[in-house]
Amino acid sequence: MSRKVSDLLTKGIIYLATGITLSVLLFIVGFIFIKGIGLVNWDFLTRDFNEKVVYAFIESNDVSLSLDEETLNGKMPFDKRYETHLEGPIYIENIGAAIAKVAYKNHSTEREQVVITYIEKDSPFDSAKDSTGKNITIGTDYILQSINGTDFSGMTLAEVAETISAESGELKIKIVQPGGGIKSNIITTLYMVLLSLLVALPLGIFGAIYLTEYAKPGRLVNMIRFAAECLAGIPSIIFGLFGMAFFVVALNFQISLISGSLTVAIILLPVIIRSTEEALKTVPMAFREGSLALGATKLQTIFKVVLPCAVPGIATAVLLSIGRVVGESAALLLTAGTVAQIPGTLFSPGSTLTVQAYYVAKEEGNIELACAIGIVIIVIVIVLNILSRITSDKLDVFNKK
Amino acid sequence: MQAIKRKKQKEKIIEGFFLICAFVAVVSVLAITVFVFYNGLKPFVSNSYPLWDFLTGVEWRPGSNMYGIFYMIVGSIFATFGAILIGVPVAILTAVYISELAGSRIGKIIRFAVELLAGIPSVLYGVFGLGIIVPYVLKISPNAQGESLLATIMVLAIMILPTVVSISETSISVVPKEYREGSYALGASKIQTIFKVVLPAARSGIMTGVILGIGRAIGETMAVMLVCGNPIAGIPTSLFDQIRPLTTNIALEMGYASGVHQELLYSTGVVLFIFIMIINLAVNKLVKAKVGS
Repeated sequence: MSRKVSDLLTKGIIYLATGITLSVLLFIVGFIFIKGIGLVNWDFLTRDFNEKVVYAFIESNDVSLSLDEETLNGKMPFDKRYETHLEGPIYIENIGAAIAKVAYKNHSTEREQVVITYIEKDSPFDSAKDSTGKNITIGTDYILQSINGTDFSGMTLAEVAETISAESGELKIKIVQPGGGIKSNIITTLYMVLLSLLVALPLGIFGAIYLTEYAKPGRLVNMIRFAAECLAGIPSIIFGLFGMAFFVVALNFQISLISGSLTVAIILLPVIIRSTEEALKTVPMAFREGSLALGATKLQTIFKVVLPCAVPGIATAVLLSIGRVVGESAALLLTAGTVAQIPGTLFSPGSTLTVQAYYVAKEEGNIELACAIGIVIIVIVIVLNILSRITSDKLDVFNKK
Repeated sequence: MQAIKRKKQKEKIIEGFFLICAFVAVVSVLAITVFVFYNGLKPFVSNSYPLWDFLTGVEWRPGSNMYGIFYMIVGSIFATFGAILIGVPVAILTAVYISELAGSRIGKIIRFAVELLAGIPSVLYGVFGLGIIVPYVLKISPNAQGESLLATIMVLAIMILPTVVSISETSISVVPKEYREGSYALGASKIQTIFKVVLPAARSGIMTGVILGIGRAIGETMAVMLVCGNPIAGIPTSLFDQIRPLTTNIALEMGYASGVHQELLYSTGVVLFIFIMIINLAVNKLVKAKVGS
């Protein structure tokens, strides 16, 4: 009897532990989604992180409002960076757009700003150009700061509307493109993934080929295996230190895309070597023997027979590596920097999504924004997980035959 | 004859190329070790800072030329130990559930969840810690901030879960079926079998998982940096004290440090590296012991 009770109790504890593990995952993912989802929208994904001031040149042209007032009033762009909505919106015919005054939560220059809330069809804004004559897009949520030299600061919304209406002909409007987006981080992450794979993939695959197809068991192989294991065990901050000392300082690459991606390439090496090795090992010996018996050389056998069979395994390695790069932060913090910009060259810095998430959480204390970036990261991670499951199942199929 | 010879030569050259590729891993490890140690030992060799003061000091004030990391070592060890204490039992029991109690479908779902947990980048654990754990700790803390040893331990305990679960699960599932059957035949219950037979048989695999968990906890940087507080001095005496692990010391100041300050950050890296090497060697020993038995 007492055994039954104690077994039941222990079972309960096991269930509890599993429950904790599961609920921790749900809790974390749930927290990040709930906290961040309000910020995730198309603008968030496609805008730069930093705001940009531009001068827009438009030809004033009266366009009448096609909406009734109630609809117009409802057209406040939903943006969590606003603290309150102060005045407006007021529709102005000669620019074919409605403006309102809002107060920002933490704006770099001034809290109260005039923003565009609605742009009418065929509005002059549709054909806005910058000072070099290039077309630029202007959308809702953009901040208006001055028109033909008249600054809006200190004016009420009605005064601003009056000032704009009074102008005619070509208008020169100072506009602030709102920031807060992560376009540059997405692109930097993409660059980082591509560059590091470009370096690590051939090295890892060829290395794995050597280990499984050529090497005779002995000291050399043990040494290489041990080195790969060591690499896998080194924490990423140490890789960061090395990247800083070697790529950034000794090779004088500066804190840049190239320093970051080379550092990450080293981090990826053990992942790729191990998964490729596993994949190569699943290819039945008979395949190789068959190919060799047909008179193919060893090299031909490897490239024409063994590698094609191991493709799903290598695909898994690639997916795991992408996940690793997307998740990497400590090493990149030291080697690629925290500048939210699209790196123009290999030698300019840029921050990936994870580094940006760290930066906004730590330096700006903005948990919501960090969570919004986190949503993007988690979605990528989940997609990669599912894909790698599919590819590794493919490898198994081949063995079951 | 000539053609065959040339072909053979070509194959030899390519084999050499493959060997070089494989050797990049070895070169990387050596380069990392050399670069970190060279930069980290410089200040002690050139006598610009005494090694003893570095290792035993309890204040890190670059402004007044005080660089002591003893309190960081203590912080790192406390945080890791705490995380193991909380995380390991939960992880092992979860592994037991997956491999012994759960049906194959539920097992698959939980395994997927654990994999997902492993895939979440450490920064997000930090953001979670900063958004949820730190405010909760603040509620019960006598101190004015929630960033603390306790918060660090909680975050790290969560972070080592996937490592320990997946390795323990693998080693539990390779325990031969006969062990279990033998135990049942002797009249033991399922739970008794698990705890008296299966877990002891999987001991060395589980130990490997735990040690890898320790490695992950001691090397973790970004998540910890957001929740530990990073004080400039003081050995933690309570769970609510702030800590500054070795890793965060490097990540926080590397961006702007120069001269001796920068070199001593490398020295901090050397100390961390030595910890990690000990852990790696332990894992290696354990794996070898397992193969041997």
